[in-house]
Parts: sequence; structure tokens; C-alpha cells
Amino acid sequence: MTTEGFVRELCIKAGMEQEGIFGRGRKEGWLEAEDEVFKDLQLTRKNAARICHMYLLKVMKVRDLDIRGAAKLRDLYDCRACADHIAQVYLRGIMDAKNIKRDGEFLWFDLNGEDDDAYNSNVIDRLLLVHVGDHVHQDMSSS
Amino acid sequence: MTGPSPIDDPRLRFDDFDNSDLFAKKPRLPAMGWNSWNAFGSGNTEELTKAMVLKIKELELDKLGYEFVVLDDGCYHPERVNGHLQSDEIKFPSGFKAMADYVHSHDLKFGMYNDIGDRLCSGAKVGIWGYEKTDCEDYIKWDIDFIKVDNCYYMWDNATFADPENAKYSYAPNIKCIEIRGIRYDAADAHITGTRAEAKDGYVTSIGTFDGTAPDHSPAGPRSSELIFEVEASEDGTSDLFVTYASDASEGTGQWLQVAVGEKIYFDALLAPTQSPEAFKVSPAIQIELKAGTNKIRIMNHRRQENTLDSYARIRRELENAGDRDIVFSICEWGKTQPQNWGHKVGDSWRILNDITFQVGSDGNNGTAAWEGDYTTSITSQYNKAVIMDEFAGLTKGWNDPDMLVIGMDGIDSIMCRSHMAMWCMMNSPLMLGLDLRRVSKGDEIYNIIANEDLIALDRDPQGVQAKRIFTTYECSEPDKEYIRDNNRIDILAKPLANGDIALGFFNLSKDIRTDDPSVTADQIMNKIGGKAVNKELFESAKRYIIKDLYTGEVTETESNVFSAGILGACDSKVIRITPVS
Repeated sequence: MTTEGFVRELCIKAGMEQEGIFGRGRKEGWLEAEDEVFKDLQLTRKNAARICHMYLLKVMKVRDLDIRGAAKLRDLYDCRACADHIAQVYLRGIMDAKNIKRDGEFLWFDLNGEDDDAYNSNVIDRLLLVHVGDHVHQDMSSS
Repeated sequence: MTGPSPIDDPRLRFDDFDNSDLFAKKPRLPAMGWNSWNAFGSGNTEELTKAMVLKIKELELDKLGYEFVVLDDGCYHPERVNGHLQSDEIKFPSGFKAMADYVHSHDLKFGMYNDIGDRLCSGAKVGIWGYEKTDCEDYIKWDIDFIKVDNCYYMWDNATFADPENAKYSYAPNIKCIEIRGIRYDAADAHITGTRAEAKDGYVTSIGTFDGTAPDHSPAGPRSSELIFEVEASEDGTSDLFVTYASDASEGTGQWLQVAVGEKIYFDALLAPTQSPEAFKVSPAIQIELKAGTNKIRIMNHRRQENTLDSYARIRRELENAGDRDIVFSICEWGKTQPQNWGHKVGDSWRILNDITFQVGSDGNNGTAAWEGDYTTSITSQYNKAVIMDEFAGLTKGWNDPDMLVIGMDGIDSIMCRSHMAMWCMMNSPLMLGLDLRRVSKGDEIYNIIANEDLIALDRDPQGVQAKRIFTTYECSEPDKEYIRDNNRIDILAKPLANGDIALGFFNLSKDIRTDDPSVTADQIMNKIGGKAVNKELFESAKRYIIKDLYTGEVTETESNVFSAGILGACDSKVIRITPVS
């Protein structure tokens, strides 16, 4: 799914006007310029996490969770600019981690990976089900 | 891109790291100001930045030394426009020059951000690599006074978001043996310098430098390893050297080899890859010159440090064209390549670890920080490393940077914030505020911490000496060098000041109240820092001492030369300034 596809599906499911969504989203602080400039590129997992987290903060007004519970993700600290985004969507069960079984079992968010359309649609569904005070991730990791 | 450029300037070489001969550096104290990252992350805007400028003026923080206003990541258009950097047109619609002018019009200084890789950490495709000249010309046109340069997407190391296989540039291959004039010399019998490399199953691996991004390794002592063969030669002459090696592209085993005899480098390039890190093959002949007698043949790879230094030096070289404009250069490679060894050659400060928090704020969200944690993301994680790095810092060298202040973020209380401020001031760290200053009013709890003039005076002291840990309740023989990560302790730091005073800091790192009340005498203090004190004899022989508590402002006098802090609450501290009276 492209970034534009993701944003437009989010608009539809959230009942937002699609026209001008990139400009509006940037002004509201939940979309970045790169989302608009590179809207035709496939959406990476780290960018999906960023959009979802910032949408939670800026549109849904949901406060952040303590991210220490996401420290089990081996690649969490690989990205200073997106660690919090990843932690928040993981802890809220919006996006899953991958259970890697080589070199001993560990959880891997796969920052630069891409998900298929069905998964991304499901991410949007999960995002919109979040409510203030929702509890944390219940080990929904996929294998 | 086929690999890093040849390094022709010997001043960029590992063997020259101790020399400050690359650029004429202006002695300066650590930078102070406000940086957008901890406060707003990628969400900083022109409007928010202007609001911070106005608050700095309203709070008169500039009069205390907070002079820089720095735009961190997230401010650029995500790709170059006609080959140039450009501001994000929604966040910074007036552009960077207008932003700089606004900051300057308030008698403050303006700072920006970039990255030695081809992208910024946020992913924007505007990293400075390959554009050093163009970008620095633009920065100079925009009248910047400060630049922080990050390390994501770096091409020659396995840095954040870089290709993990870049580790092939960072380490030498595994070495089994070398052969010269038909004589085989086994690696297992050779001398390993430093503590990084190790012998393993008949070969030597991890020839290179620790990755210092995470808090696992001490910054003290030799951080790089070489493999040294002592080879006897009966007469001067040229010889072919053959190296039996096995390569990989992972942390510890690389593909890049440097060969030197003494200080002269004969080979500095990528070898052909091998099937596996244990499938050894023989290198092509490497021609070396031997002198009659004992020759030290060095098998090594210092490129991890040299490449990073080279990248920062390219930027610094271009910034030299700023003429009279004085630009502070803040190296932010997270301690990855031991910048305490080389940062002084190019920079004014160097980050020592990955970030102090990954849970930064946004407009309306304070972000979160921690007192302690397993990774770098806590006040004590940063402190524990920086506190033993005092010998690397100084007025003419530059400063260890344990990252920006997290005062005002959620997750830490005012006691922790006060200790955090005191630690950073004692350690001569850059003091970059990282909170939304609209939350601060004169006289409130946060203001009283960030505006503590007596603490700031320690950081601004013209003597410019980072405090030394002279005692810790943790059992160790060298408190100023031992890397201690167990926070169940009290540290005592001593800092000589320009007027002959000594600042003493007592820090309870633990989350429990401590009643053990450790003390130090004037003699013990001078024994540890006397060499840097203005008047060692006076301090030792003083008849009495005037003591100022830098938190309460209370001044007392004592004839005792024993100094202590009394009971310290959880994460609490006491900092005193001692004036000797003859």
C-alpha cells in the first residue's frame, strides 16, 4: 500500500474529508512533508507507525504510554526519530512485532519492512478502535 | 559508491588523534541554549520557535547564558530543491534565513541540524554527504551560529538506518597468520593491543574499535585493537606480505584491512570477500619495507574512526569559509566511534551515547524521560559514562556531550531534575534546554532549576575543567576511570574553579535515601585534582573555608577541612562551592 493509499483509507474510515488531507494533516501535525512528497511510495512500517502515533496524539488526543514495555523489540532503539512511534503502536496493539526465531527467539518490529494491503487496513481499524486509557499490548505478535 | 575515500591527510589518521593540528580552534565554553528535539520532536515549527525566542527573552534566560536557538530534525523539505536544502514550507513558511534573522533580532544565536549520511534521522533525503560545500555555503548565507550534525544513514559504518553490511568497513577481517619471506607468523602468537580484539580458535577477531552507541562499553583506556607481529629482518629491503584472512560484514568481523610497518601505512583497502568468517584465504601480495632489526607489523582497521572524522572534517573545512562568523560545531555520532579520541580535532563537543530519551514531546505533550534505565535513555545512563571522561574535555579540546537536558519532561521529579542540572554543570556539558518554555514562569520549580546562576557558573567557569569523580561508595580502585553502572551508590565530584574555589558535588544515584554520609578532606580533593587547581597550597593549608550551598544559597564557615553532604534523599544531591581563607 502506498502512503497515499493508507492516508486516504484512514480518511474514509475516520470520516474525514479526503480533499486537501495532506496539507491539513501537515498543519495538524500528524503528517509530514515526506508523506505528501513521496505519497506514491510503498508505506514502510516505521512510517505507518509514525502516522498512526501522531494521529493518536494530534487528532484523537490520546496520551502516550510509557515505552519501557516495548524494550523487548530488539530494533526499537535503532531509530531515535521513530522509537516512540513504534513503541506506542506496538504497546496499543495497533501494529504487531515479528517473532524471529533465528539466533535465539526475539521480537523484531522491522522498521523498514512493508506490510500488505490487508494488514495495513487492519492497522487503520485497530487505530480507530483506540480509546483514551486503553490498556497495553497483549502479545499479539505474529510469527 | 565503492567505498570510503582514500585518506591522504595524515592528520586524519588514528596515529595522529592526539594532535589538535587540523583546524585552528577557538577555546570556548560549552554551548547553552534551547534545542527543539526534546520539546517538539519532528513537530517543531516557525511559530513554536518564535514563541521559544520570546520566552527566552521574557525569562531572561539569555542573560544566564542560554544564547542558542537550535532547529533539530524535522525542519527541512524532505528532498533537495535544485540541489539545495529548503525549509518545510508548512512548518517554516518564511524559510531559514528569516528564522535566523528573527532569532538574531532578539540578540540570540541561531543553530541548525544536519547529518553526515545521505539522509537525516527522520528520513528526509537531505543529508550533507556529497553536499558539504553547497550546504555549508547555504548555512553561512543563512547566518547560522551553531550546527549539530548527526550520524544516521552513514555510508561507511553500520550506523542507524545505514546498511548493516557497512560493518565490513569498520573491522579488519579475522586474521589467522601472515607470511613474509617464506616464514609464517601465527596470529595467535602475535600481540593484541587494546581490549576489543580477541584470539579465538586459532585466529584473531574484532580488530577495530568498539561501537560506543550503547552503554555497554567503557570510554576509558585504549578502545581500539591492533594485531602486532614482531618480524626480524637481517637487512633493509622490500618484502611481500601475505595475510591469511576470512571476512564478513558484521560487528567484529569486516573486510577492510590496514597494514602498517611502524607508522607507515602500506595497505588501506577492502579485501576480496571470503565464503564465510571462518573460510580463510590468502591475500594478494602487499609490498612492505622492512628495516634491519625488529619491525612491528601492524594489522589493523582504524577506518571506523578515521572515516567518521573525515566526514566531520569535510564539513568543518567548509564552515571555515564563514570568515568572522563563529560557528559552533556539535558532533552527534552518539559515541559510536569513540569521538572522545578524535572529536577535539574538529568539533566543539561530541555526543557520548545514543539519545537520553526516545520519548520526546510535541506541542501539548511534555515527552518522557527517566532517571535510570538499561539503555542510554536515562539521566544516569548518560552521567555514568560522562563522569569518567573528564580527561578528554577542556577549553581547547571541546566537551563531552551527554545529550540535551530533559528537565521538565514527564517521568522525572524536581529532585531528579535538580540533580540532572547539577551533574551537567559539574561535568561542563553543553546545556541545551529541551522543553516547551511556555510552561515556565519566573520563580517556578522548573525556572529555579534551569536558572540556578550558581550552578550555571560552574559550567561557565573560565577555567573550563570538567569535574573529576574523586570518590564513590561503590567499591573500586580508580573512581575517576572505572565505568560503574550500578546506581546504588553516592559519587563525589570535584571541580577546580578559576578563582581558586573548588566545587564539590555529592550525588545519590540510587532511588533510596542514603544515610552513609561519605566525606572527603581538602587533602584528598587536592590529591585528585590539585594539578588543575589554581592554588593547591592555599586550599590545603586554609585556616577556614567559606561554603556556599548552591541549591539553597546558604553560606557558612568552617575550620574543618572535611566536607560531606549529610543524608541524601533518593536521587538527591548537594553541590557546594568552597572558598579557602588563609
